[in-house]
Amino acid sequence: MKNTYCLLLAGLISLPLLAQEAGQSSENWTEVNLAVTDDQVIPRYAAFATASATLEQVAENFCANPGEGSLAAFRVGFHDSMDAWQLIQHVQFGPITYFNWNYRMQYWPDENGTGARQLDTLISSQNASALEPDNFARESVGVQGLPALERLLFAEDSLSAMQADAFRCDVAKAISRNISEMASGVYDRWVEEFRTTVANADERGFFESSEDATIDFMKAQVEPVRRIQQQKLEDILGESEARVRVRRAESWRSERSIRNVRLNVRALEGLFNGSGDQLSLGTVLLDEDVDTINEKFATLNTMLAALPDSLEAALAQEEGYEQLVAVASGLDALFEALEAALKNTDLYLGFNSLDGD
Amino acid sequence: MYLKRRQFIAFASALLARPATAISKAGAAPLLLSAASDSDDRHWVIGFRDQDGMAQQVFKHRLPARAHHIAVHEGLGLYVVVARRPDRYLWVGDLHSGDHLAEIHVPNDRHLYGHGVFSADGSTFYTTENAWQLVNGDSGRVMVWRVARQGESVTMTRHEEYPSYGVGPHELLLKQQENILVVANGGIRTHPEQPREKLNIESMQPSLAYIDAANGNLLEQHFLDAEWHKASIRHLDMNAAGQVVIGMQYEGEPFDRVPLVALHEQGSAIKPLWAPEPQQGQMSQYVGSVRFDADGNFFVATCPRGNLITVWRADNGEMIQSLRSRDGCGICAVADGFIYTAGTGRISHYEPANDTITELDTGATGKVFWDNHLSTGNA
Repeated sequence: MKNTYCLLLAGLISLPLLAQEAGQSSENWTEVNLAVTDDQVIPRYAAFATASATLEQVAENFCANPGEGSLAAFRVGFHDSMDAWQLIQHVQFGPITYFNWNYRMQYWPDENGTGARQLDTLISSQNASALEPDNFARESVGVQGLPALERLLFAEDSLSAMQADAFRCDVAKAISRNISEMASGVYDRWVEEFRTTVANADERGFFESSEDATIDFMKAQVEPVRRIQQQKLEDILGESEARVRVRRAESWRSERSIRNVRLNVRALEGLFNGSGDQLSLGTVLLDEDVDTINEKFATLNTMLAALPDSLEAALAQEEGYEQLVAVASGLDALFEALEAALKNTDLYLGFNSLDGD
Repeated sequence: MYLKRRQFIAFASALLARPATAISKAGAAPLLLSAASDSDDRHWVIGFRDQDGMAQQVFKHRLPARAHHIAVHEGLGLYVVVARRPDRYLWVGDLHSGDHLAEIHVPNDRHLYGHGVFSADGSTFYTTENAWQLVNGDSGRVMVWRVARQGESVTMTRHEEYPSYGVGPHELLLKQQENILVVANGGIRTHPEQPREKLNIESMQPSLAYIDAANGNLLEQHFLDAEWHKASIRHLDMNAAGQVVIGMQYEGEPFDRVPLVALHEQGSAIKPLWAPEPQQGQMSQYVGSVRFDADGNFFVATCPRGNLITVWRADNGEMIQSLRSRDGCGICAVADGFIYTAGTGRISHYEPANDTITELDTGATGKVFWDNHLSTGNA
């Protein structure tokens, strides 16, 4: 089924005439958009909402009884939520953009250490009303999400600091609850509203057309590749091994910065190929381009599987720096392959929007 | 006040001075001009008309590099394509045939910012420029050019230079009757050796300057509140009543709440305007172009990063309508509404009186990505 469909759609969109024929192919675009929504987006948000609901619970347990065991459980809760977030982080349109949820969930990169300063200020204020749900949602974005929670959970003195200061623990609890509320909020709105927006993209509304909606999904496929390459790897690796800045890595405290990248690539591969016979974003590209792109994914997976979760640990391995540089190059190759494939279609991701004038 | 569609149509019909049906087909469709690029990174100036829903190409010429705005003088029958920062060329063409007449370069120690404006009689042209070797202090300049056309021969001579009273000047207007220049000082310091780097975000100080066009004296200068100093004042338009609409690009955090549109009248303070949510957030901290409608009652601010076009009332500054347009940026007023162009290649015609959007058939013009500004002129 997939191959027949692929031929049909590829036949349409490889022609430069598509702009004039867009009306004819709108049902096909909508089919792809809904398949991706139902197969790759909503299930991942559901998993994130579930994981963060557990996080909220283990945070409560820990603060009720702060000890080594409950801290270990809290950390597992953090890792599970971060895993789930990394698997849907690439989607930066739709409900995640409501109420600045995307920035509140993860204020990163934070080059000036703003989040740390704001978190210190909040903790030293000992202001319980600031932690009330409605108030906390209006706090600085830097204290509201995953990086702030990581800072509280993965310091050497995390346990003693939270045992000594109940308010510090309350902050960790408030962040966990906030993450959970945002995650379920995003999930609910995809299910209750935004799926309908995607399904009705041909009516005048949020999207100009069903093809226009596909562009947002395709941006979620392509743009994160460059962002991961640059922000999660190259900015840390610098120009040489002597210039490495480990503390710029996304999750250096919880020692999982490479694990994040591994999950990101897995999610992007899922978006591209779908699960089983589902239509996916790869469906709208030419067959030979799909093959090339999948080779790039395979290369990346092999390289990433050989690395530990921690970027610091990866660097400590023999040839570790070179291996990480190779991953960055692999992401670059994937990005270039996606860009080249898009040139064979009528999908165009942006021009003025990337401009600075 | 964000209007439902039916309310909007009633409102828009009442506000339009003339019923749209009476004027929409009167006379020839105006010439529309825009810079564009293609997927092979070639750059073009294209003239076209909206012929019954078809984008009928009138001319298409290759440009030496990417351009930005096109200034038009109908009396002289000229159009001037202004290079985008940090390039240095003015590319002059004949408004009737589209033919290339002249290419003029600013000196090596200057570059253009993509905007220019003619005086009413066409004898003078003004450009915003960067005296970039001044790495401290106000490096913005307004250059006064003398223009002359005889047949196919066009001369543009650098006549006099004024300060722009700021850094990073961008769009400029001329209040023709009072002979006053209105200049958007974007506030962002750049250097041609690091073409897209912004060097002074923490200290940037954008402003709106009114300058006596006869002598370069500063008449008035207005700033935004200090908390919004990272809102770069870049794009302008003016209606017959002298109201200036300002479009801004915010250089701070994507989640900060800042105005992106403002109105100004000489002698008073800048009036920041806010769209309702979710449109304010969807504007994505970036307005790319602002234009009044033909009667000056509405204005439009395009937001290519937010894929959004917002329509506002000029009398009270309320946003009353928003349209989705992927990468939509270039816009200009036509008799019955607006034509707007997008980085995707789309051209659309919006009629407020019945709140309809018609996509123009671009079959004949080939696939190009429209640049940020659309101009019009009757050739």
